[in-house]
Amino acid sequence: MTTLLHRRLTPSALRRLIHEAPTTSSQLTDDHRLSLTSRFRAIPTQQHRRLDAWSVESAGKASSPFHWTPQTARRAIGNAALARVMRQPSMALLDAVRDEVDELFYRAATGYARPGSLAYWLAGVAHAVVSLVTAEALNWATQVGEVAHGLDCSWSLYPTDAYYDVASARTTLRARRDIAVTKETGRVLLRVRAGLPGKSAGPGLRADLTIDTLADERGVAPLRIIGVWPDAGVLLSVDGAMGDLRAGARDLVRTAVAQQRQNTRIAA
Amino acid sequence: MAVATNDEAHRKERQHRNGYEKHNEDGEEHAPRLSRVTPLRNSRAMATAVLTKEVPQSIIASLRGEPSLRPLADTVSASGLRAQLEDGLFEILGTAVPAEPLTVYATSLGQVATTNINQSPLGQIRGVLVSQLLRLLSVGAHIATPFEDALCAWKAEVRTSELFDHLARLDSDERARLRTDVTAHFVTLQRALGTVPPRWLPRTSVRTAQRLGGGTVVLRDVVDLMVGSSTTLHASVALFDVTTAPLGVNSERTMRYHALLQTLRSNVVPLRTCTFSTATGETWIHDVDYTMLARSVDDVLGALYNMWKNS
Repeated sequence: MTTLLHRRLTPSALRRLIHEAPTTSSQLTDDHRLSLTSRFRAIPTQQHRRLDAWSVESAGKASSPFHWTPQTARRAIGNAALARVMRQPSMALLDAVRDEVDELFYRAATGYARPGSLAYWLAGVAHAVVSLVTAEALNWATQVGEVAHGLDCSWSLYPTDAYYDVASARTTLRARRDIAVTKETGRVLLRVRAGLPGKSAGPGLRADLTIDTLADERGVAPLRIIGVWPDAGVLLSVDGAMGDLRAGARDLVRTAVAQQRQNTRIAA
Repeated sequence: MAVATNDEAHRKERQHRNGYEKHNEDGEEHAPRLSRVTPLRNSRAMATAVLTKEVPQSIIASLRGEPSLRPLADTVSASGLRAQLEDGLFEILGTAVPAEPLTVYATSLGQVATTNINQSPLGQIRGVLVSQLLRLLSVGAHIATPFEDALCAWKAEVRTSELFDHLARLDSDERARLRTDVTAHFVTLQRALGTVPPRWLPRTSVRTAQRLGGGTVVLRDVVDLMVGSSTTLHASVALFDVTTAPLGVNSERTMRYHALLQTLRSNVVPLRTCTFSTATGETWIHDVDYTMLARSVDDVLGALYNMWKNS
């Protein structure tokens, strides 16, 4: 049985979801990790496999290769700008975004940006595109800031997503996470997404929950993961229960199988 | 509240009332004003007063309005509006489930029997480019070549589009005309908009999508520029829409629709909704209230009724 909940996005609904999160969380042991590893190893792959919530939601359907656009760049810059504003509350969000962009330029100019990185891409685009990236990042930072503004407990922004490398299976799992709410009994994760949640948004959220738990060094699951869709004004949440962790792991394995079948069909 | 003592318009009005219409009398009237702004006989009672504060010149200043007069944020109307929409939807669809969700956009609210020349491919390209320029202006970008900058920003955002193909097929004359057209619209926009203060949290191309009737209907919208925050005690969110067409009945529907979707999205009623035509330089600004939102609910239900009837 799943613990998926659906709510309208209001500050009070979000606070309630956080306060009413379970007080105990599950823990993945080495046996769980080994079991998952063996399943991934059983699915052959020609190239390195990268799985995330989006690949689960789209059932492993091949997507176009990643490239930087103002939309793909907004989250990294926007979250970093918001973290900057948290450190310097007197700073305007737009100024913080501009500072982040300037820092990326500086990194590229001093040779610290590798090809393919955001800084490298940004250094090579026209100034109009840089302004568009600034506008997109400001949009993102504002909406994440508005979500966080309604919280009445201590929270922090995650500097990075969660990554878990499955040993000897040529597989990397990535979980998106934006805000961590720290409670005495554990952590609650908030993940902000653009657009409208689809029918498979729940499995996507469970995949993020499982990967975040795997990435935790002690294997402790978050008390709850909350997906926030500000464009749609929707909240979805999943508890860190063992049933949901197992379902998340199963979805990830199924996605790898679906990907492998598609690759085989293309090769044939 | 501080007020000005007098001004030329009020003086003339009084002159007409008192029968001062002869030029020589006017000349005599001016003489004492060289030393004293207000004649002695006029320095007591005043029929009208003029605010000494500067009249807002830019749209942004108009959107801001007087902060002390802002109402408390309305966080209770959204659920009622949603219920009205759901009830109206059930009256239209009943228990029927359309094969594809019925999707409502701001453009769906227009009259079906009319043809809008601004919906021609060239008109659409011009609209898209002006929207891009608004995005750049909102973050204080320096725009030296509006057409090229807008095109560059658009291509970075959208990889493939039918409008791209149309743009590529334009000959040099048509392209030059479009460049001039976009530049003219941009100049109008830039002059009217004013500078957006960074503290106002300007967001551009803000998308909204709301599902109704268990997913049988999706309301979609894009607001060109949004300022203010929905987390403040007083209403502060202002919605700004730019169009390259003259303003008309549809513009009013669009303004209402923006306000409705923003209310459903954030559960907070915005303060103002505004639309600006770069074709005429005309601006319409309305304070958002429940009546306006209820009218928009009727607009949406009317559009859905037409869509369902014609499907």
